[in-house]
Amino acid sequence: MKRRRRMLEDLDEDIREHIDRETEDNIARGMTPEDARCAALRKFGNVARVKEETRDVWVAAWLERLRQDVVYTLRMLRKSPAFTAVVILTLALGIGANTAIFSVVQGVVLSPLRYFQPDRLVMVYQSNPRFPRVWISYLNFQDWQRSAHSFERMAAYTAGQGFDLTDPGTPEHLDAKQISAGFFETLGVKLAVGREFAAEEDRQGGAPAVVISNRLWKDRFNGSPDALGRTMTLNGIAYSVIGVAPAGLSFDGDADVYTPLGQSDRQALNYRATHQLSCLARLKPGVSIPQAQAEMDTIQKNLDELYPVDDRELGAVVLPLKQEIVGDVSGVLLLLLGAVGLVLLIACGNVANLLMARSAARSREFAVRSALGAGRSRVVRQLLTESVLLALVGGGLGLLIAGIGIKPVMAVLPEGLPRSQEVALSLPVLIFAFGVTVAVGILFGLAPALKHSKSDLQIALKEGGRTSSGGRQRVQSTLVVMQMALTLTLLVGAGLLLRTIHRLGQVNPGFETRNLISFRVGVSHSLTQTPASTRVAYERLIEHIRAVPGVQAADYTDAVPLSGEGGFMPFWIDGQKPASLQAAPRLQGFLTGPDYLRAMGIPLLRGRFFTAEDTTQRPCVVVVDDELARKYFPGDDPLRHTISIGFATFGPCAIVGVVGHIRAFGLAEPPAIVPLSQAYVALAQDPDPWVQPNYAAFSVVVRTPLEPGIIMPAIQEAVGEIGKDQPVYRVETMQRLVEDSMSTQRFPMVLLGAFAALALLLASLGIYGVIAYSVAQRVREIGIRMVLGASRRDVFRMVLGQGMRLVLVGLAIGAAGALLLARVLSSFSHLLYGVGTGDPLTFISVAALLMGVAILACYIPANRATRVDPMVPLRCE
Amino acid sequence: MSTKDQKRRIEILQGTLDLLILRTLLLGPAHGHAIARAIEFRSDDVLQVEQGSLYPALHRLIRRGWISVEAGVSENNRRAKFYRLTPKGRRQLAVETGNWDKLAGAIARILRPAEREPQS
Repeated sequence: MKRRRRMLEDLDEDIREHIDRETEDNIARGMTPEDARCAALRKFGNVARVKEETRDVWVAAWLERLRQDVVYTLRMLRKSPAFTAVVILTLALGIGANTAIFSVVQGVVLSPLRYFQPDRLVMVYQSNPRFPRVWISYLNFQDWQRSAHSFERMAAYTAGQGFDLTDPGTPEHLDAKQISAGFFETLGVKLAVGREFAAEEDRQGGAPAVVISNRLWKDRFNGSPDALGRTMTLNGIAYSVIGVAPAGLSFDGDADVYTPLGQSDRQALNYRATHQLSCLARLKPGVSIPQAQAEMDTIQKNLDELYPVDDRELGAVVLPLKQEIVGDVSGVLLLLLGAVGLVLLIACGNVANLLMARSAARSREFAVRSALGAGRSRVVRQLLTESVLLALVGGGLGLLIAGIGIKPVMAVLPEGLPRSQEVALSLPVLIFAFGVTVAVGILFGLAPALKHSKSDLQIALKEGGRTSSGGRQRVQSTLVVMQMALTLTLLVGAGLLLRTIHRLGQVNPGFETRNLISFRVGVSHSLTQTPASTRVAYERLIEHIRAVPGVQAADYTDAVPLSGEGGFMPFWIDGQKPASLQAAPRLQGFLTGPDYLRAMGIPLLRGRFFTAEDTTQRPCVVVVDDELARKYFPGDDPLRHTISIGFATFGPCAIVGVVGHIRAFGLAEPPAIVPLSQAYVALAQDPDPWVQPNYAAFSVVVRTPLEPGIIMPAIQEAVGEIGKDQPVYRVETMQRLVEDSMSTQRFPMVLLGAFAALALLLASLGIYGVIAYSVAQRVREIGIRMVLGASRRDVFRMVLGQGMRLVLVGLAIGAAGALLLARVLSSFSHLLYGVGTGDPLTFISVAALLMGVAILACYIPANRATRVDPMVPLRCE
Repeated sequence: MSTKDQKRRIEILQGTLDLLILRTLLLGPAHGHAIARAIEFRSDDVLQVEQGSLYPALHRLIRRGWISVEAGVSENNRRAKFYRLTPKGRRQLAVETGNWDKLAGAIARILRPAEREPQS
């Protein structure tokens, strides 16, 4: 480089002086100065071209050689278009699929969170002897904030019930978060406009203020900065807009509005035993998570001693934020990345076999080139150029495939996938694609190249390029066996998940899932000023809904089964309150109306469900499920006992009925942590202080044979008759909820199934290619056999047998791989259901499928082998 | 004339020009213009070479290590680059001259066949 620059820097001057000298000579010969210069210039020639040619002399030799290699390679590839097309397509499929999946992994799992210094962010939970992680209480949070030194800032928040916006604009239900002061600063994001809540606003009696989302700002205020100071009417109260959240903010669910946590209703805040909040904290620089954990342990221990009734045996847990967000799904995504990597290996096997077959045909060409002095390294370089070039084109096409394929992949992924907005063909993804492409290209270039340059010149020239080295056959066979094994592994994985989905579909969740619709409705805030008026309003509303033609039964519940709602409460029977409520057994509690049982189709096993008489004026009653009855009243009649429920204790109440247990959390059996006991409390008996917050969280379940499209408008009209500003939202059919509950298993099944199908296609092409090639190589041998008396059927069986042997070995090895994959799948707590890791049905049917496809693939070459006219190959010698 | 032919012709010319330059420098170092004049002079002006093509040739020879270049002062006290034959170049000149003689001899034998041609 430097030498080149040195040599060329004087070139202009040298040329100028040369021309000057010639000019002088011309003048000395008697020409005029102008003629002299003209003649000199003409004699010199085109100065620009001279400069360019001189510069070209110094072009790096390696660049020139590379250019030659590329031109030669392109020529060779153009001569065999079928080969080139197949290789490029195969690589494109493999690289494209890998890039698509990697972009999901990169976006969701690997890329850093979009907050300031995201690795300093942690979530702080409480824990108790029953549950390693529970929500926190407001009073505990405030004590933490005062005493903890490990954190720069702490903030608490909860995704509340949301608000009904009535002004400005059309009434709409908005999702909301209640946040403590300094929430955005803790998170490390800058508001687009305005400011967030200060400590004075974040308390009871503070001025109602709201921070709105960027989307809402654009929708309702046209994105103009004078939205600040304007008011929005939420749930009947005027809030003044003080800030706008940044665009694209998504943290623990989306929110349209943020209101001060301290202004929420007092039930949530004033009881130390009410745990409804989440806590986000930012570590101080230099403080590690174990250190913070140690400090929190001490702080919580002190609180346990200060407040033995509420906090006994409560702990604190500090966990990194990123893990909390993506931990659940990262394992499965990485598994899928591994699976698609196997597909790439299979594709590479095909490409390797193709390249090997082709380089065998070109061994003569290599021998000749070597004889002409090309040298081994030159030949290797050219083969590498060829394979890298093929890989680059394949990789480029693969990138295109990935770009197109990302959308369908995202469509299959579960709806609640965290950070799905980060999935894109970003720079790390492009680097990944490029790296894989180059690695594949070099891998394929080296293998046949190293084999080839060793070829004996004499043999290659003599045999005219038809050398059938046993080594090559062995490598090809090994590759096919590998492909079969990997394909079997993927097929088994997909098969197990398919059976899981099928089993889940057969589960009876304990209630009637068809003809059931659930939705939420906001009740006018003018009607819910007092507990009494609230009860009346809700009662009126449900009567109106029941009166709609087509509604067979309808009532409220505070938790719709399979929707992910619902909480656990401690309980005890016959007034025997345990010393530590935190360690008490839990049940899943439902607050429902009397018609709920009929609407849900839950069987009544003993006694009765609620009636219109069960109000606050009468003694409280509770209905339990058969699991609770079985566990706590074995051989006894539960109806003769009482039960008390909850930290803010409800009861003791008489048990008046036993109903069937329902699968509220998912169709599969819930993890051991989840209590099986369930109990129902009549909403009409909900004590006054809890009426407003609890009722606002109700959903309505409706049993109707009509489609939602037909009946919902009628229901909306009925709701509108009571109050014009009552939005109906979150309409779901129970069927849809059932399907969604299976989405954790469905998406890996679909993707793994797609990979397995692709693998099957590639592997069958692979075995076809290898067998066909082998037949072509053995044409002479077949001819001899036929002459010696072998029948067509013998030949057919010989060829087919060769293929089958490869498949069987592949199946044997693959079975081991498949068992391994099955064990990995079962190690995920929620992937497999109803199938054991060694499920024989899956293994056998998948193996049969693979065999069948392989036989089909070998059929054509086997057939062609029988058509060999024995005289032709023999004569060709 | 196709590009391939053109390229081959240029290659032949390049090789010959290189040889002429080396031979000229055998007599001692010279600058670019002097080399051009020497070639014209010694060939009795038969070889009229585009003087510009000298420079790519000189750089090629430098790159191959057959000549070296240094700054100097010319006859009329002007700055100039002087090119000089290296030992490697000296050897290459002997080899190439030998090859050239062989080639010229072979062509001459074809063009002017010896009296030993068989009588038809």
